[in-house]
Amino acid sequence: MLKRLTVWLLGLVLLLSLALPARAADKVVVEFFHSSTCPYCIKENKFLKKLGREHKEIKVKSYEVSQPYSQRLWEEAGERLGVAVGSVPFTVIGDKHWTGFDEETIGKEIEAAVLKELGELEEESASEAGKLKLPFVGKVDPKTLSLPILTFLVALLDGFNPCAMWTLLFLISLLLGMKDRKRMWLLGLTFIVTSGVVYFLVLAAWLNVFLLVGLVKWVRLAIGIFALGSGSWFLRDWWRNRDGGCEVMDEGKRDKVFGRLRKIVKKQELLWAMLGIVVLAIVVNMVEFICSAGLPAIYTQVLAMNNLPAVKYYLYLAFYILIFMLDDMVVFGIAMVTLKAVGIESKYASWSRLIGGIVMFLIGLAMLFNPGLLSFS
Amino acid sequence: MKVLKFGAVWCSGCLVMRPRWQEIETEMLELKTEYYDFDKDKQKVKEFKVSDGKLPVFVFVDKKGKELVRVSGEVSKKKLIELIEKHKDK
Repeated sequence: MLKRLTVWLLGLVLLLSLALPARAADKVVVEFFHSSTCPYCIKENKFLKKLGREHKEIKVKSYEVSQPYSQRLWEEAGERLGVAVGSVPFTVIGDKHWTGFDEETIGKEIEAAVLKELGELEEESASEAGKLKLPFVGKVDPKTLSLPILTFLVALLDGFNPCAMWTLLFLISLLLGMKDRKRMWLLGLTFIVTSGVVYFLVLAAWLNVFLLVGLVKWVRLAIGIFALGSGSWFLRDWWRNRDGGCEVMDEGKRDKVFGRLRKIVKKQELLWAMLGIVVLAIVVNMVEFICSAGLPAIYTQVLAMNNLPAVKYYLYLAFYILIFMLDDMVVFGIAMVTLKAVGIESKYASWSRLIGGIVMFLIGLAMLFNPGLLSFS
Repeated sequence: MKVLKFGAVWCSGCLVMRPRWQEIETEMLELKTEYYDFDKDKQKVKEFKVSDGKLPVFVFVDKKGKELVRVSGEVSKKKLIELIEKHKDK
């Protein structure tokens, strides 16, 4: 299941990067209502054919008004434009219409209308050219995708460390010994949700600091140097931990947390147990926050540089938390459903360290030498 | 020869290794293994100096209890079988 999840996530990123550019918009449509017996219609027909040869983007739709279907379309066009129809030739381009034909006057007006529509079309095409067409999503501008992808990568790097899951795994081992499934789910979810909320608040605090101080050069340079250091640290960590395994942490700290968890889980009152988990999750996450190697600070500085509406800032933070907590949710969910504790193979964390380390390094370089690259909006 | 497996409930790599060992133990019924919890079996942890470094740790010992070889971290099933085959008669 974990393998499948990873494949899905990688697939999503690949999909975003490989999606084909969207096609240009449709042609300029000229609706031409005519009669086979009218001499002006014949003149206009020749004129429109010539115009069509000069501008390939023109599509002329000819309707012979003696045909019932054409007659109906003609009446509908009249209703749409708010005019009475009765004389041919009758020409429609967008919301403009002409009755009769004379190459010097009406012909020129038709040509001008066509050129105007083509100009707008080109403008639209230019703005559409860089867009990606994604299945189920539609057209998306890659510029606006850069920030979600960056958020995804940094959050994945920040959260995807199986060894940092020690409190959750210990809690799972205690919960699996219980018979009450409802209690198991509630206590586990309380821990996960509290952890997510605490981290969200920490990110929000960083973001507000950067928004408050504004885009000060020395702050950006300091964060840039910090990002270079952080990237190097992750790359070093990736190189050193290629064979997996978890470092044995400080015994005193571990015993303290585990002792408290044991007491909390044993509490008879569910509400008190949940409150205990909330407090413990806050403490543990504040302590573990140091392990994140400054990723929240670097990420929120990039976010602040993008000058977004307040709602969007917090939506990005929520997305970050979702990805950050993904591995915890998956491990907890599997354990609760199968009643077996599972671990995530460290090779996934290893890859996330490599990719994340490179991303951090690039962010650092951009902050120092070309901060404009990090303004995606 | 037997294998002493040292792990902990809070160690993700130890949980990853669990099913791997279960497969090996099912395939090699003659293989003897013993599991020691890092937090509970402190005597053994101390005896085999497991507390320095990474978890999980797998110590291969001979019939007299003398250490032959040890590996740590997430070890592949192939490598474990190779080690077992190499030392099984000791």
